[in-house]
Amino acid sequence: MSVALVLAVAFVAGLIGAMSGMGGGVVLIPVLTLLGVDIKHAIAVSIVSVIATSSGSASAYVRDHLTNLKVAMFLEMFTMLGALAGAAITVVSGTRVLFLLFGCVLLVSWAVLWFRRREQWSPVAEQDAFSRWLELEWRYPDAATGRTVEYRATRAWLGGPLMFGAGVVAGLLGIGAGALKVLIHDLVMGMPPKVSTTTSNLIIGVTALAGTSVYLSAGLIDPGLAAPVILGVTVGAFLGTRILVRLSNEAVRRVFLCVLGVLGVEMIVRGLRGGS
Amino acid sequence: MAVRDADVTERERMDVVVGSILLAGVLVSLTLVAAGVAWHWMREGNPRFDYTLAGTTVFQFLVADVRALADGELRPRLLLNLGIAVLVLTPYLRVLASVVYFAVVEHDLKYTLFTGFVLATLTYTLLR
Repeated sequence: MSVALVLAVAFVAGLIGAMSGMGGGVVLIPVLTLLGVDIKHAIAVSIVSVIATSSGSASAYVRDHLTNLKVAMFLEMFTMLGALAGAAITVVSGTRVLFLLFGCVLLVSWAVLWFRRREQWSPVAEQDAFSRWLELEWRYPDAATGRTVEYRATRAWLGGPLMFGAGVVAGLLGIGAGALKVLIHDLVMGMPPKVSTTTSNLIIGVTALAGTSVYLSAGLIDPGLAAPVILGVTVGAFLGTRILVRLSNEAVRRVFLCVLGVLGVEMIVRGLRGGS
Repeated sequence: MAVRDADVTERERMDVVVGSILLAGVLVSLTLVAAGVAWHWMREGNPRFDYTLAGTTVFQFLVADVRALADGELRPRLLLNLGIAVLVLTPYLRVLASVVYFAVVEHDLKYTLFTGFVLATLTYTLLR
């Protein structure tokens, strides 16, 4: 397989991943396996590139003060443990299972995107005692109105364990699993959408690092594949976030829904056929 | 809701520190990887690296790289290895900075323990 081809695939995956907010892995891994890369190697190399894309975008969000560091620090304990467990499962499991699981996660993401509610947010009125103890109230500057919005995150006692699950998915399949994390921030913890996406980005860095360390010691990270993937995905993601501003959300969403649906079905079919 | 202005300034300063670590880490890593690929391409006429990282830990990997660098064995492969190592260590350094911030600046025992737990676990997995 030529380096130019991998570079191109990684670039497109990074571009689509950033524009849809789903991350590069969900496109990268299925396409790499179609090109003949073993699924475990594809997963391992993807999670390394996730460190680059999430850290790159998190760096800007954190400096704009959109991220809640305390929420991130609390939740990443759970995602980190989840990712270690997930990656350890992948190392020993059969490829067939991985194809099926990956297909299912793609279809669930498809459903989440399809049914996603409008970006509405109503502040949490009552914070539970545990979240208060964790000091999860904070503020962020809202660019649209130019005002500082105060908010309190709640139900951390439920958000934490759920984040363990999101970490398992991330480590198992080599993706950031940002969609799951954002869902937990939004629906369970009542965080404003801006804060929830940007905080998820910061957490993904540590989740991906935990997964990477497992794959590295299992010898699954192929440097020959890693080089073009890291470069392609990162440059693609960088451009994707800039193009996003000029495109309508609806157009991006439609294209991405098609891609996600096709890849999801295709992965499941390959899993059923024996995982090759 | 009681968000005090004194807390805000400290934490906003921390935001800048964390953001800068992440940005610097990613930029340095990408530069090393790109330089490694370009150099390999010029030398071998093919941009594809062909070697394996068989079952190593991040720290062993880093130590071997730094030793090779000290011996003056600068090779394209070394640049790529260093690029991957810098990338992997970027979130790690961010966690390390958070522990220091919560322990030294905020004197916040709770969050020092939380970030300390993450740091200890990551250190263990990176050394194992």
